[in-house]
Amino acid sequence: MSTFITPVLNYAMLAPILVVLAGALIGVLIEAFAPQRSRSSSQLLLAVFTLIVALLALIRTRGTYSNKVAMNSVTFDGAGYLLQMSILIIALIAILLLADSDKFAAAPTAAPGSDEERQAQAANIRVTEIYPLTLFAIAGMLLFTVSSDLITLFVALEVLSLPLYLMAGLARRRRLASQEAALKYFLLGAFSSAFFLFGIAYLYGYSDSITFAGIAAAITGGAANDVFLLIGISFVSVGLLFKVSAVPFHSWAPDVYQGAPTAVTAFMAAATKVAAFGAMLRIFYVAFAGDVWQWRPMLTAVALVTMVFGSLVAISQRDVKRMLAYSSIAHAGFLLSGIIALNKSGLDATIFYLFAYGVATVGAFAIVSLVSDSSGEVSDLNRWAGLGKRSPWIATSFAFLLLTFAGIPLTSGFVGKFAIFSAAYESGNTAILITGVLSSAIAAFFYIRIIVLIFFKDPVEDGTSVVIPSMYTRITIVASLIITLVLGVFPAPVLDYITQTAFFLR
Amino acid sequence: MDPYNYLYLAALLFTIGAVGVVLRRNAIVVFMCIELMLNAGNLTLVTFSRMNGNLNGQVIAFFTMVVAACEVVVGLAIIVAIYRSRRSASIDDASLLKR
Amino acid sequence: MVTSSSLVYLIGLPLFGAVFLLLMGRKADKWGHLFATAMSAGSFVLGLLHFFAMTNRSEEERPITQTLFTWIEAGDFKVDAALLLDQLSICFVLLISGVGTLIHIYSISYMSHDENRRRFFAYLNLFVASMLLLVLGNSYLNLYVGWEGVGLASYLLIGFWNQKPAYATASKKAFVMNRVGDMGLTIAIMIAFATMGTVSFDGVKEAVDRVGTPTLTAMGIMLLVAAAGKSAQFPLQAWLGDAMAGPTPVSALIHAATMVTAGVYLIVRSNFVFDAAPTAQLLVVIVGAITLIFGAIIGMAKDDIKKALAASTMSQIGYMIVAAGLGPAGYAFAIMHLLTHGFFKAGMFLGAGSVMHGMNDEVNMRKYGGLRKMMPITFATFGLGYLAIIGVPPFAGFYSKDEIIATAFNSGGAQGIILGSVTLLGAVITAFYMTRVMVLTFSGKPRWDDGVHPHESPALMWLPMALLAIGSVTAGYLFTQGEALVHWLSPLFAKKGEYDELMPHSVVTVLAITAVIIGVTAALMKYQFKSVDSVVPTDVSLATRLARNDLGQDVVNEALFMRPGQALTEGIVAIDERVVDGAVRGIGAMTVGSGATLRRTQSGYVRSYAALILLGALVLLAGIWVVTQ
Repeated sequence: MSTFITPVLNYAMLAPILVVLAGALIGVLIEAFAPQRSRSSSQLLLAVFTLIVALLALIRTRGTYSNKVAMNSVTFDGAGYLLQMSILIIALIAILLLADSDKFAAAPTAAPGSDEERQAQAANIRVTEIYPLTLFAIAGMLLFTVSSDLITLFVALEVLSLPLYLMAGLARRRRLASQEAALKYFLLGAFSSAFFLFGIAYLYGYSDSITFAGIAAAITGGAANDVFLLIGISFVSVGLLFKVSAVPFHSWAPDVYQGAPTAVTAFMAAATKVAAFGAMLRIFYVAFAGDVWQWRPMLTAVALVTMVFGSLVAISQRDVKRMLAYSSIAHAGFLLSGIIALNKSGLDATIFYLFAYGVATVGAFAIVSLVSDSSGEVSDLNRWAGLGKRSPWIATSFAFLLLTFAGIPLTSGFVGKFAIFSAAYESGNTAILITGVLSSAIAAFFYIRIIVLIFFKDPVEDGTSVVIPSMYTRITIVASLIITLVLGVFPAPVLDYITQTAFFLR
Repeated sequence: MDPYNYLYLAALLFTIGAVGVVLRRNAIVVFMCIELMLNAGNLTLVTFSRMNGNLNGQVIAFFTMVVAACEVVVGLAIIVAIYRSRRSASIDDASLLKR
Repeated sequence: MVTSSSLVYLIGLPLFGAVFLLLMGRKADKWGHLFATAMSAGSFVLGLLHFFAMTNRSEEERPITQTLFTWIEAGDFKVDAALLLDQLSICFVLLISGVGTLIHIYSISYMSHDENRRRFFAYLNLFVASMLLLVLGNSYLNLYVGWEGVGLASYLLIGFWNQKPAYATASKKAFVMNRVGDMGLTIAIMIAFATMGTVSFDGVKEAVDRVGTPTLTAMGIMLLVAAAGKSAQFPLQAWLGDAMAGPTPVSALIHAATMVTAGVYLIVRSNFVFDAAPTAQLLVVIVGAITLIFGAIIGMAKDDIKKALAASTMSQIGYMIVAAGLGPAGYAFAIMHLLTHGFFKAGMFLGAGSVMHGMNDEVNMRKYGGLRKMMPITFATFGLGYLAIIGVPPFAGFYSKDEIIATAFNSGGAQGIILGSVTLLGAVITAFYMTRVMVLTFSGKPRWDDGVHPHESPALMWLPMALLAIGSVTAGYLFTQGEALVHWLSPLFAKKGEYDELMPHSVVTVLAITAVIIGVTAALMKYQFKSVDSVVPTDVSLATRLARNDLGQDVVNEALFMRPGQALTEGIVAIDERVVDGAVRGIGAMTVGSGATLRRTQSGYVRSYAALILLGALVLLAGIWVVTQ
């Protein structure tokens, strides 16, 4: 029997995660003790403050890297630093969207249409639990990207997922759909984490170790039972591919994106993608790199199918949120090519792409949340016709973000695509390169179809209009537009910085 | 006894769970099937722990139990909320979102 | 003297104008148009300074580059955002900013009744800035930015009066057709990047020797697709006619002088690619020749004055593309025709706008007639443009077209004879339909609708027309004087091989003039000396009907582009809904046995999603297994 060793924790480097967790716990206390009136504002203030402190704590750690932050469980390195930075920035932009609390159910546990709900609405009760939930999810995401052993990875996955399941069910309007989204997300999420756990078990069985470094060493050694490794890699991949919504593990994404409150969708679509791809980068680059010849063909196939499927199905969508969901599926395909590349430029490009895509996504969903009629948001694309005439600024911003997704020059999307495809090309993967370019061409068509719809079609007279954005939403949209534009026009400093910083401690 | 037998048992439990998720309609039962899959994972971990001769696997199993307990909390909350609105725990009824 | 560091202001001035006017909002309504015009004029003056500075430098030192910043850096691959001003781009800079400024001036009056005039001018400025970026970029990627920019600005301008449905549809069509072309450019850039590791013009030029002909052919063909989309060449020509729905000054700027010639610029700029890829070059000639005739035939049947001019533009750009496809012998003449065409066609469009202005926005030429006396200045300027386009010596079009016909004949062999004949035939038809436009509009008896009182346009409108008319008269002579333009551009192109003059230049000139005489005479016989109906005659030949329907191009488009696209999309959706779901349910059913199959097919979605995940996991496992074995 092994002796028990007192764990040594490097609190300075764990500070960002701990700060966010502390903020979440204080949020829970506020929820319990603060008077109803002041909860909303104090929660928002607390959340923003927490994120800023976490960001500062993170910046303080820059340049110090260690793979023994919490024994062997957590590794802080350049890549982890950049990914955590991206998550915090995206979260900071996205959390402001939660401030429009009239988007959330007044009494989420009450049945829709019940007296209880009416009373809650009449009393102007606001759901503020969403702030601590978001902070918990963010803490999970931060940990997910820096976990370097299997237990931590699994726990982080659940810490980030569980709050998201709940948040998906909090919409004020169309509550049945929102609850359904929560149920679907939960059941399928739990289902995929069961696969993930099973995969972890087999990786442990294969390598006799739970750390990434141990697995990598076992693969290099090559003496152990290969079947275990095979099952381990496949099933762990299922869990990760589910989170990034790659085909065929994508089916939850459109439903959940559509059903969840738009503000939550914005956060979920952007930040989860960064976290999940961050973890995926680490596990494939660090733990599985030695076995690349086994998993690369399968992952390539998944990437190709995902790109093509996402782009093609997006064309036929009539709901803007579902359309963005399929677009996010297509983007998952593009991002996978960065992982498959398994080289330094693949790492750099994926990190850049993740950040750029995440920021643009938050902006796009923020705009979706503005288009509404008297009964709530309007996400039916046909009713977006002629938006350009009624609200030129909003329409132009949305068009710009769509062009970003399409990868038109002078937007961050173009630079990201360019970087990621050149990484794929560098690794000799021409299939990815060709399919990627072609499916982004297909994708460009449907983004442009929407732009045509918004600008060149006559508006339908059915009361669809753009609500005046609140100050918070305005900050979100403007920040997202500025970052997208700057990353498109002057990406060089950021790309340089990523190139210098990004690396994995093994 | 050959520890591999436990692996086979775990794989069987996992399969039963997975098939159950696909086939059963009651959300609670589906959820229980998922729990079964998680426990199959636990059994695998403990078996490997025995085979590898260290405790790591057993420690993970403890973590998994805690995580599974949390999942139950969240899952039941969602299922109860849905049951209140729909008076039904059938997951087939919840199909507003499609196409 | 001006230095390379001021290149950015060529683009910066109009760009600033556009942004400033859009941000200022209604506050700038009073003076916005003047501000925009000043920005455009400033750009022109700066361009002139650069031109004179360039003429003072020796031949090797003429091209100058300004590097703004490093745009993309990924590994060894680096793209600078840099501007290149050489002998070729200076021609375009002067054309774009010069004609652009004149059109700004014209629009001040033309758009004076429009409440959104400021916005219109902001878009005009945006267009000028993007077009300048297109011709000044030093790499395909920078060019692509401008390429998309002019696209965007042109949609905004065509759709400017988008409260009218026809205009909106026109914008949409142009939008979609252009995307096809843009895709060509994207792929060409990817090819360059993938095979040569560079996308700058200099880099590609050097790398041409390193890569194989098939690669260059592919790249050339993709560049041709791009050029066809932007320049309305066969088979992507359909949008140009519809785009005439936009305001007339827009047509003059975008669809005559600048944007539609971007394709010609692209091909001439990529001369090193095409020189090394004869197949692609041949395709260029074929596309140009087809469009040349195609556009001319459509032009004969159009009653809408702007659509007739648009068809003519299509055909004239066909000439340029043919010349560009003839290699080093033709590049300079393509540019020469492009420049002269920029003058006379822009002038004629403005003339058409002036006529419409006086005729309550009537565009049907059958309702014109006898306007010569009412609009003497418009008649004179339009007439000079007319003489130039049909190629009457010594007007501009004569020189440039004459050179193209001669080069076509001299390209040798059967190709030379065919091309020569096609270009000559084009000249006959051009003379015919332009004479028709002239006669229907300015001559004969008035066929005006009631309540129409034609009048000459104000000075702000005819002044630009007059200036352009001067260009249409003198440009050709100036360019050919001592082969000025050919010498000016020659350092950029490969040396043209020595070849026998198969057809003496004097013979070509005689042939060309004969062609003009035939065309003009035929048109006069048909329209001048017979009365013209103000309603469209219906008992016409099949050929005329075909030509009126743009030779069936919409039908072809629908069959070729839209239907397969729709079918593909619908198919994929069907597969997603039926096959995937079905397969997924099928597996569930197989597991349990067929007894419950019918009930299973009614299963809800969560379970089919879960089954899909399960299936995916198994496929993943099996896949890795197979690879391992």
